[in-house]
Amino acid sequence: MFLTMKVAFRNISRQKKRSFLLAGAIAFGMMVITLMNALTGGAVINIRDNFSHALGGHVFITGREWTEAGQMIMKIRPDANLDRLLEENARQIEAFTRRSQAMPSLIFGSQQTMHLLYGVDFSEEDRLIDSLVVVEGSLAELGKRDDIIVLPEPVAERLGVEVGETVLIRLETLTGQQNVGEARVAAFIKDQEELGLSAAYTSRANLNSLLGMEPHEYQILNMFVTDLDLVDQFARTFREGLLSPEEAEEAEDEPEVTVTVAGMPIDPGTRTQEVTPWEGTRYQVMNINQIMEAVELVVGVLNRVGLVIFLILLVVTMVGITNTFRMIMIERTKEIGTMRAFGMQQKQVKRIFLWEAVLLGLLGCLGGLVIAGVIALAVGSVSLNTDPSLQFFLNNGRITFSLPLQDVAVNVALVILTSLLAAYWPARAAAKMSPMKALSSHT
Amino acid sequence: MAIVELESVKKVYTLGKAEVHAVRGVTFSIEKGDFASIVGPSGSGKSTILNMIGCIDQPTEGIVRINGTVTGGLKDKELTKLRHETLGFIFQSFNLIPVLNVYENIEFPLLLGKNRRSRKETREWIEFLIEAVGLADHMHHKSNELSGGQRQRVAIARALVTKPEIVLADEPTANLDSKTGQSIIELMKKMNSELNTTFIFSTHDRSIMEIADHVIQLLDGLIVEDSKTKAEAGSIS
Ligand SMILES: Nc1ncnc2c1ncn2[C@@H]1O[C@H](COP(=O)(O)OP(=O)(O)OP(=O)(O)O)[C@@H](O)[C@H]1O
Ligand SMILES: [Mg+2]
Repeated sequence: MFLTMKVAFRNISRQKKRSFLLAGAIAFGMMVITLMNALTGGAVINIRDNFSHALGGHVFITGREWTEAGQMIMKIRPDANLDRLLEENARQIEAFTRRSQAMPSLIFGSQQTMHLLYGVDFSEEDRLIDSLVVVEGSLAELGKRDDIIVLPEPVAERLGVEVGETVLIRLETLTGQQNVGEARVAAFIKDQEELGLSAAYTSRANLNSLLGMEPHEYQILNMFVTDLDLVDQFARTFREGLLSPEEAEEAEDEPEVTVTVAGMPIDPGTRTQEVTPWEGTRYQVMNINQIMEAVELVVGVLNRVGLVIFLILLVVTMVGITNTFRMIMIERTKEIGTMRAFGMQQKQVKRIFLWEAVLLGLLGCLGGLVIAGVIALAVGSVSLNTDPSLQFFLNNGRITFSLPLQDVAVNVALVILTSLLAAYWPARAAAKMSPMKALSSHT
Repeated sequence: MAIVELESVKKVYTLGKAEVHAVRGVTFSIEKGDFASIVGPSGSGKSTILNMIGCIDQPTEGIVRINGTVTGGLKDKELTKLRHETLGFIFQSFNLIPVLNVYENIEFPLLLGKNRRSRKETREWIEFLIEAVGLADHMHHKSNELSGGQRQRVAIARALVTKPEIVLADEPTANLDSKTGQSIIELMKKMNSELNTTFIFSTHDRSIMEIADHVIQLLDGLIVEDSKTKAEAGSIS
């Protein structure tokens, strides 16, 4: 084996130009598939990050209950069971926030606009406060007073309001009554990542009073987990802890609760259905992966398209390898005859060719990966200021690449396999050549 | 003891419908230690006979016995093994493996089978051979950096490296000028007497033929003369 490998290795370096072309073709295919996979892989991560950023968490718990009047409302009351779960799983929770939310009309003078408004407890929102980029005003007052509001810059512009002035907030309470309150504008913030996704923020106490809720009640519990890979498991823990088995089963058939991003519902399946009222609060636990399913579906299709392109390139390369190896076989007829005369067995002759194919494949893979890496680095270092809708796929305006090692391994294995397949017939023909004919050839 | 025996050997090649009777019934034997030469004009069947002795071709009729083994009916794998164990080859156009240097070319046949010697012994043996063929200064040259005569010296060392019973050489001097050719045959003769290896070579050069102690003359696929001059061999012929 060592001998055949050595001869194969020398043969590869003998015809440098030819080896370079073959390995180059393989490298090209490898580069395309690697970039494609890494690009989609990076996009998935970015989309997930951007989603969780926009949604303010990885796992979302909502609660619904029925009023005496027979209305279903979204709210979570203080719950010892939930507090216990939070405590027990504290090590897996990086941060959690409890928010209320509404889609009120914000009014200033004769201007008004509908915008998503979160009622937050500023004392547990370090993460949010860190992420807000203040354009005007200050965040110093947050947490000290309740009747203040932070507005995204575009909203402020639309209303024509200045920092320090007061806007009206008009909304419906949970039970559907019209209500109006007011809040002083503390600051303008930059529209988050130019997505138009930034909400307005006020204190939870303020929004709750407008919605007709107690100050310590809330609508969504958002959690950031420490290990995103375990998020499904983590969500299951909460689901099992909060829902009785029958509830869990019933919940399967119920319409999903609506999670909103900038007032747009993200709802995997909106099915309206008659529901029988229940006692107390019924929880619903969603996690980022459930939202990502649709994204991953698209990515899966993209990757499959990439794979098809890759396979086509491989087949083309394979034809090239087969032809070249057939030529090589004829070129080396005499050499093969000599080796056979000295006692090289047929399978060893075959092995030389197969090793050459493997080495070419490996060289190609290596080249392709290196080129892909260089391109990824180059592209990743450029900050793109494009259409806001594209920003959702990016990480701070940069394209990122991510490719799991096992995907690379699969691609490399595919390349080696096709190279072997391509070389197999010429290799066999070379092995089967009669040593006498080989020796009497005049090449 | 006869190390090579041919009994009524015939070889017919079929080229489409035409049949070429390359060898038309030859019987001879070569003793161990012979420095034998097969001579004859072009097309007389020299190469065909050497190929059959060399186990890279098989007779259409008759028996070829190498070191006691009848080659007819052996499978490729067994023939290859027989070649590796008992035969060495020297070719008209040298046939060094271009990707290997002098040392590696000589070492090559050893790597094809199980090597019973230690690394050190192997190395010493190869270096001894390189010394013996006068290429000590060219050990790490590639074959394209050598002259024809030097290449053929490498080929001689390579043919001897496995300590084969028999070395076959089909017109080893045909691609060399007569002076170099002479020195190659003399080198072969030297190795023949030093290592007691049987050499069988073909030539159509009468002056080279004279160095042989056993000359088989061919014409049109038949033996016209089989003569031995090796008095001290004490053979019964
Ligand atoms: N593979 C083959 N197929 C068909 N005919 C062949 C083949 N090999 C040799 N012959 C024929 O057999 C005859 C003997 O050929 P061979 O090569 O043994 O002669 P030779 O004595 O070695 O000649 P030269 O001195 O030219 O090498 C020739 O007529 C040749 O044409
Ligand atoms: Mg010949």
